[in-house]
Amino acid sequence: MTRLKNLPTLRIHPDLFRSFTYRGKTYQGLEGDTVATALYANGIRVFGRSLKYHRPRGLYSLDGECSNSTMEVDGIPNIRTETTVLTSGMTVKPQNVKGSPEFDLMGFMDGLSWAMPAGFYYRVFHKPACIWPAAIKQIRQAAGLGALSPDFRMKGRFDEIYPAAEICVIGGGPAGMAAALAAAGKGLRVILLESRPWLGGAFEYRAAAGRSGKPLFEGARGLAQSVVANSNIRVFTHSPVVGVYSDGQVTAFQRGGAEKSFDERYIEIRARTVVVATGCIERPLLFENNERPGVMQAECALRLARTWGILPGSEAVFSIGHDQGLEAAIDLCDLGLKVAAVADTREDGQDPRLLDALAQRRIPVLKGWVAQKAHGCQQVSKVTLTSVNGHFNRKLPCDLLVASAGLTPVTGPLTLADAKLAYDSHTGFFLPQTLPTWLYAAGRLLGLNDFEAIAASGRLAGLKAAVRNGADAAAGIRDCENQFKELPGPARGSKFVSAPRSGKKAFICFDEDTTLKNVDQAMDMGFDVPELIKRFTSAGTGLGQGGIPGHNLPLYVNQSGSSPDPQPRPTLTRPPLVPTLMATYAGANHALVKRTPLHELQEADGGRMETVGDWKRARRFSDDARCREEIENVRTNVGLLDASTLGKFRLFGPDSLKALQRIYVSDMSRMHPGKAKYSAMCNEDGCLTDDGVIVQTGENDYYFTTSTGRAGVTAEWIRYHTRFDNWDFSIVNLTDAYGVINIAGPNARAVLAKVTKAAVDNKAFPYMVYREFEVGGVAVRVLRLGFVGELSYELHVPSSWMPYVWGLLMEAGQEFGIRNFGLEAQNALRLDKAHIIIGSESEQRTTLHDLGLGFLWHRHKPEAKTVGDAALRHTEKQPGRLKLVGFKMENDSAAAPKDGSPIVDKRIRGYVCTARLSVALKEAIGLALVDDELAAVGSRLAIYEDSCQGQLIYAKVVQKPFYDPQGKQLRM
Amino acid sequence: MAFLITCPLCGPRDAYEFRFGGEDKGPRPDQESLSPEAWCDYVHMAESRFGVQQEWWYHRRGCGTWFTIYRDTVKNLEVSPNDLEAGK
Repeated sequence: MTRLKNLPTLRIHPDLFRSFTYRGKTYQGLEGDTVATALYANGIRVFGRSLKYHRPRGLYSLDGECSNSTMEVDGIPNIRTETTVLTSGMTVKPQNVKGSPEFDLMGFMDGLSWAMPAGFYYRVFHKPACIWPAAIKQIRQAAGLGALSPDFRMKGRFDEIYPAAEICVIGGGPAGMAAALAAAGKGLRVILLESRPWLGGAFEYRAAAGRSGKPLFEGARGLAQSVVANSNIRVFTHSPVVGVYSDGQVTAFQRGGAEKSFDERYIEIRARTVVVATGCIERPLLFENNERPGVMQAECALRLARTWGILPGSEAVFSIGHDQGLEAAIDLCDLGLKVAAVADTREDGQDPRLLDALAQRRIPVLKGWVAQKAHGCQQVSKVTLTSVNGHFNRKLPCDLLVASAGLTPVTGPLTLADAKLAYDSHTGFFLPQTLPTWLYAAGRLLGLNDFEAIAASGRLAGLKAAVRNGADAAAGIRDCENQFKELPGPARGSKFVSAPRSGKKAFICFDEDTTLKNVDQAMDMGFDVPELIKRFTSAGTGLGQGGIPGHNLPLYVNQSGSSPDPQPRPTLTRPPLVPTLMATYAGANHALVKRTPLHELQEADGGRMETVGDWKRARRFSDDARCREEIENVRTNVGLLDASTLGKFRLFGPDSLKALQRIYVSDMSRMHPGKAKYSAMCNEDGCLTDDGVIVQTGENDYYFTTSTGRAGVTAEWIRYHTRFDNWDFSIVNLTDAYGVINIAGPNARAVLAKVTKAAVDNKAFPYMVYREFEVGGVAVRVLRLGFVGELSYELHVPSSWMPYVWGLLMEAGQEFGIRNFGLEAQNALRLDKAHIIIGSESEQRTTLHDLGLGFLWHRHKPEAKTVGDAALRHTEKQPGRLKLVGFKMENDSAAAPKDGSPIVDKRIRGYVCTARLSVALKEAIGLALVDDELAAVGSRLAIYEDSCQGQLIYAKVVQKPFYDPQGKQLRM
Repeated sequence: MAFLITCPLCGPRDAYEFRFGGEDKGPRPDQESLSPEAWCDYVHMAESRFGVQQEWWYHRRGCGTWFTIYRDTVKNLEVSPNDLEAGK
């Protein structure tokens, strides 16, 4: 269709075409179109079918207030086409239709509406009870709008940002813009959120003359230019607010596109003060078939013409209740729309200039008249207007019925911020009675209509917000308040008016197909307050998030007199204020991992890298899942392990010993310089939380290790347990500063001796000792420990030198055939020695005693108030606990049972923690947690392996450790 | 956790930056005299007050300080000591 041209308010580019497909056919839209306007421009009038009754629905409002125009766009269902910018190549499909929107095979449902009264699914199909499952299956299939396959994979780029500002302004109309400029003028940072693609709000497209004689849109755009030019204001357009939370936290979802780095992104703002200037939407007029395609709101009709150059129809009738409706009729008439009549629900109170303008254009105005019924099957063809008392009526042919009862303030953000709303009879609005101290409201949502008054109220709110942030604005506020007094105050709003009708097809909620008759039925059943009626009839619980019925429902219920409240009471709003994609909540979901300094080298050597906690670590270096060669190599030769993820800490200061005594169960005061002490940390229940090795490196100076998993919380833990003491000590987390190379095996010393001049013979560097020396010129800390049960050295190397030192060891080890080993090999090797891994052999509830590590605990240091001391005392002899035991399979040739297999007799008595076929011992061994009654050496354990089909396998409890009980290999 | 917490070193910050450390129960009592039940109560029993309580927070994504605040558990907002004295 030909678009209106040369209008200064147009936001389309008449020469830039965007093609898209709708129901398989290709259409053209223009740059700046939304999907809805492009469809409308191409003559599409029926956009879809409604939820329950499958009634034809068309374009009604342009702000996404209802699900009338939701369609499937590029495979994603429930897209609100009127707020979605058209891009080339989009694929658009209607929803909830069998056949076409124009001829939906489910359209017969409309005739069955008598069988589906309010809440029918609560009462029908329940007698006999057995028919309910079949009924609910059918209802579920019929319900819902868009369809999604379980295989659906969301495409798109999603992101999140967390900007902060002193002031957040919600709404980019004249009030919001004025507030932002006022606050920015006081030097404060302002974030301005606007849901439409451009600033200007309700005045952005209106050509009527303002007080100055110039068109309203020029005033709005002038403000917008000032805002954009102001470096203290950060503007987010396409950003509807989703939630408002305590202490000035605001969330919004911003729609992006090809030119942006995201398709949708989450914005979370922390502001000290918030200004809400969200303006108004239109309140729907209620009459029979008030949702027929061809019935639309006044601003929808006007914006189609003014913003997108589309004349919304050829012959129109208006049924409105506010001056803005009259203004729309005048402007559209001037743009070429034939207006047959304007029915105004108000008997009087219209702006006389508007009445004059209508008279000049020979448009009859029927005061105190309202639409009663829209006629036509798929599209409006005729309307019956009546006087409000129903005496007189008139039928007029039309293809466009502009129907609007008046305005509804967008109070969602206020309710979320815990403001209390109360009905104001002058404006007919729910106005805020109380606001939290950090929030101000301004503009049309307070009932103001006049451009200057709206801007002044915004400026006032902005200045007050600035004062709350410490600015000096007393004079400015005084001026503003004086100016305000001279300007028009809140306008008289329109009442709830509807013509006498049956209400069977007067829809109060379009999303859920709730009619006035349904509301009557609910009230007849005793539901007397809007909150209950809303839920029983499901009015307002659909996609529009309550925008369509939100104002009408309380007014109607109040008018009925059934409600105990003397005044209309609004329903509660909850986030999200607009429908949001789940994918945006999920966010970009980057797979974040930490890598050790040897990551690339390990991979290059064939390491199979896995995510373990926060880290990527090598599980093994061959295809053999049992890692036999790696294990054999450590037992008989020499291997290298990257243990860089280990927690490492320095603790120093005059009170550092006191801190160590507090958190470690051993007596830390008897540490010999150079000796490595193995100890454990417990929680207040005496349960093992961490183990590690501590060395004293100087006076009041200690270096200790923790497990990988606890490295992140160690400092927190130590500080927590010393928080009352005011001790003088410091902790430095060196976990990432040092990498760790574990060189293990009988030939480990020979290799190490080749890379350092320091003495590493057994006398100079015995077992459980700490030394500092140079390897290839790099200063390293070396611990001689024995986790895997062989001669081994743990080299703590500054991270940036790790690849170098590793390279030296690899080269020195060539003649021995040195090779890497990974986590699985380490797991099997330490199992031979019955060394525990926290989380594998211990649970949250496993004490030190349960693990056989009670010997670490020094019970005679009560003044230290060691964490876990009391519980270790109490649980030392406590019966009925799970104990850690070692076991071997009864059958010598048996395979090792799977990790986690329960141990049973008449009930579950414990479970296998880790079990492996030991390479060194050539038999299956394992560690298990079992009831103390079964913990004695010699006890028989019956193991239930997964899928064993009842065939138990048997093991016997044996002494630990399994391999080299004297520890000769460790001490060589 | 939408509310703000005032860290003694860093000032008011998003609650997300902190980790909750439980109600303040005071320093641990001398444990010799305590029965296992009394000790368990000290460790695990919480008053769970309906109203303002003093509690510990750790500035995990910040300075790493442990400190206490007063929080109104009904409104889930921090209460400044001044407001507390004013009897709010």
